[in-house]
Parts: sequence; C-alpha cells; structure tokens
Amino acid sequence: MELEFFSAAFLSALFAIILIDLVLAGDNALIIGLVARNLPKNTQNKVIFWGTFGAIAIRAAMAIIVVYILNVPGFMLCGGLALVWIARKLLTPEPDAAANHLAKAPAATFAGAVRTIVIADAVMGVDNVLAIGGAAHGSIVLIVLGLAISVPIIVWGSQLVIKLVDRYPSVILLGGAVLAWTAYSMIVREPMLMAWFEAHPATKLVVAILIFSISLGPWYSERLSEQTKPLVVLLPALLVWMLAFEVAASVWKVQVDYLLARDQGEYLLEGLRWMGWLPLAALFLWVREQLIQRSRRTARG
Amino acid sequence: MLLIQRSQRAANAVRTVSPGGELFVASVVICMILASFGDAVDPTVLGEAGLELALFDLGGEFSVLAMRHWHLLQLLLGGAALAAGITVLRIGGTIFYRVLRPAPAGGVEKVPIKL
Repeated sequence: MELEFFSAAFLSALFAIILIDLVLAGDNALIIGLVARNLPKNTQNKVIFWGTFGAIAIRAAMAIIVVYILNVPGFMLCGGLALVWIARKLLTPEPDAAANHLAKAPAATFAGAVRTIVIADAVMGVDNVLAIGGAAHGSIVLIVLGLAISVPIIVWGSQLVIKLVDRYPSVILLGGAVLAWTAYSMIVREPMLMAWFEAHPATKLVVAILIFSISLGPWYSERLSEQTKPLVVLLPALLVWMLAFEVAASVWKVQVDYLLARDQGEYLLEGLRWMGWLPLAALFLWVREQLIQRSRRTARG
Repeated sequence: MLLIQRSQRAANAVRTVSPGGELFVASVVICMILASFGDAVDPTVLGEAGLELALFDLGGEFSVLAMRHWHLLQLLLGGAALAAGITVLRIGGTIFYRVLRPAPAGGVEKVPIKL
C-alpha cells in the first residue's frame, strides 16, 4: 500500500515508526564503544563508520524483507502476536536492566569488530524491524524514511534519547500503546482472518481489548491493589473464553447467539458461554490464594 | 539491551511516570479502544435500531463511528484533548467540592468572608 506524501496517514505511520524505533532501539553506541575500545585510534574511526553503516544497511534490508514476509498468509497474525509480547516486555519493570549486554568483549581485529557490531544490531533489531514493518502498512518509502531519521538519532544522539525518556517516562508507555495498536491493526489485517472479521465485526472490539489488556498488563497491574491483582489474568482469560466460542461457532458450525438458538443443546451452549467461566475463575482465585498462603508459611518457617 | 534501559527511570516507566503523562497515555488508549469500537460496530444495525444519532453521532466527524478512520496523530490529539478535559473537570470538581464543604461546626467564623 502506497500512502500519499504528507497525508495524515503518512505522517501518522512515520511518527509511529520513529517512536517505535526510539523505544525499541538497541544500544548501538555502547556496543560500538565496547567493541572498538581496544583497537588502535586510526582503526577505531573506521570501525565506528563501517559498524554504523553496516548496522543501518542490515536494519533497512531486514525491514524491507519483513514487509514482503508480512504479505505471506499467517505472518501478519504471528507478527501481531509477537508485537503484543514485545509491548508487554517493554513495559515490564527491569530493576537490574543495565547488568546484561550482548557485546562484552572488545574485538581484536577490524573485521571482527565490524562483524560483532552488525550481528549485535541484527539480533537486537528483530523486534524493532517487525514493529516498523507492521506500522509502515507495506510502504518501503516510509521504512527507509523512518530509519533515515531515527538511526542517526540512536547512533549519535543516544544520550539525547536517554535524557528524553528519563525526563518523560510516559514516552515508553506511549510506545507500548502504539505497539499494541500496531499489533491490533496487523491482526485484523491478516489475510486469512479478514473475511472472518468481516463476518464477526464485534470480535474486533474483543480482540482490541484483549491485546491492550495483555500488552499494557504490567502498567495497570502496578496500579491495582493486592485483592484486585487477579484481574490482570482474569480479564484477558475472559476475553479469550468469549472469543473461543465465536471461533468454535465458525469451525464446528454451532449456534452461539442466544437470539438464534433453536434446541436444548444450543441453549446449553449459550449458558456455558456466559456462565461457564465463573467456576473456572473461582478455581483460579482459590488456587492463587492457596499458593500465596503456602509461600507465606514457607517464608515464616 | 534496549537503549532506554540505560535509564533507571525509563526501565521502570510504569512506576516512575508522572500523573499527567499517565493520564495522557491512558486517554490515547481510550481513544484507540473507541476507534476499534467504531470499527467493530455495524452502522446499519445501529441505524435500524435508531441509536446511531442518539448514542454515537455527536455531530459531524467527531463521533465514535467516525473514529474508525482516525490515524495515530488524530488519536494522539484526541487523547490530549480528552486528558485536558478530564484535568479541567477534576480541577473544577475540586473547587466546586471545596466551596460546598461546610465550615467547621465549632468554628468562630461560620461565614468565610473576611472584611
């Protein structure tokens, strides 16, 4: 899909790509510094240039490949589900995040240094590339433009980005929300499911709330009291339960709409749909309570 | 490692976010869910039930049903407007509540007017 230049859709997709690039950016500057620190001064400059060039080239190539892969049936759904997980991981608090890193050892040779930088960028950029591939709506111009704007900011202006997110942590939350929104639009655009969504339009809302409730779980979980914390599991589980009945109705050709039910079996199915989750929720709450009490007893004794 | 995780505040964004920033992002998420609601609802069904005008079409383009066509920038602007509206209501509500609060029963000045 080609978007018209400087239209609202074009600028929105560009903004989404830049925001996703910034919040999911790997620490390229630190990797380049770590890898090149033991090399001679004149080689260091070459490593920084070629390492950055290689990282940008591999990122652009991966993003363009992703755009084509996403056209394959099933990949849009997988990509959307992966984005839900990425958004959740982005928002999950990491108290000791700075402890681990991909590139700890300095390289001894020029080729080894460039290789380490490019491989580290490719590994760290998979989530990033998948997200911008989904946000670009298939437009390669948007991907290249987004990378051209954001990669130099990440490589040479990493301190600026760190200062921005340190001053405004809400940028991270916004990034998580945009990732969840991108995941939703990818899942409803999945070619294999498009016809099903057209036939069951109400499920789009269920899918959207399900995606937001899973992706933004770490955020609202922080605001819930101990008693209401199970909602983080119960809300998505309930939505999956409801969705499963819609899917089952399509697969096994059964009637799950109470207005259209005809026989006793269909009425029973309808009852199961609306009330069947209650014993399961009660069981979950009971098991959770037992586990909490057991861990408290273990901690005491 | 993500670049943002070099900042302790950013790595724990869900705990360190400011109330204003949180309200803004929450408003954007509400707008996104409303847009998906507009996407999910069949306007003809609502039209047949006579509910379209009453519940959803608040006039022109600004309706829940029209939000299905909104792009990210529009959702951000909508979220900002919603957050600003909630803030104004909150401040107004607080002032209103303060005015209505009765003076202490044992207070010397029952009427809080100073000459």
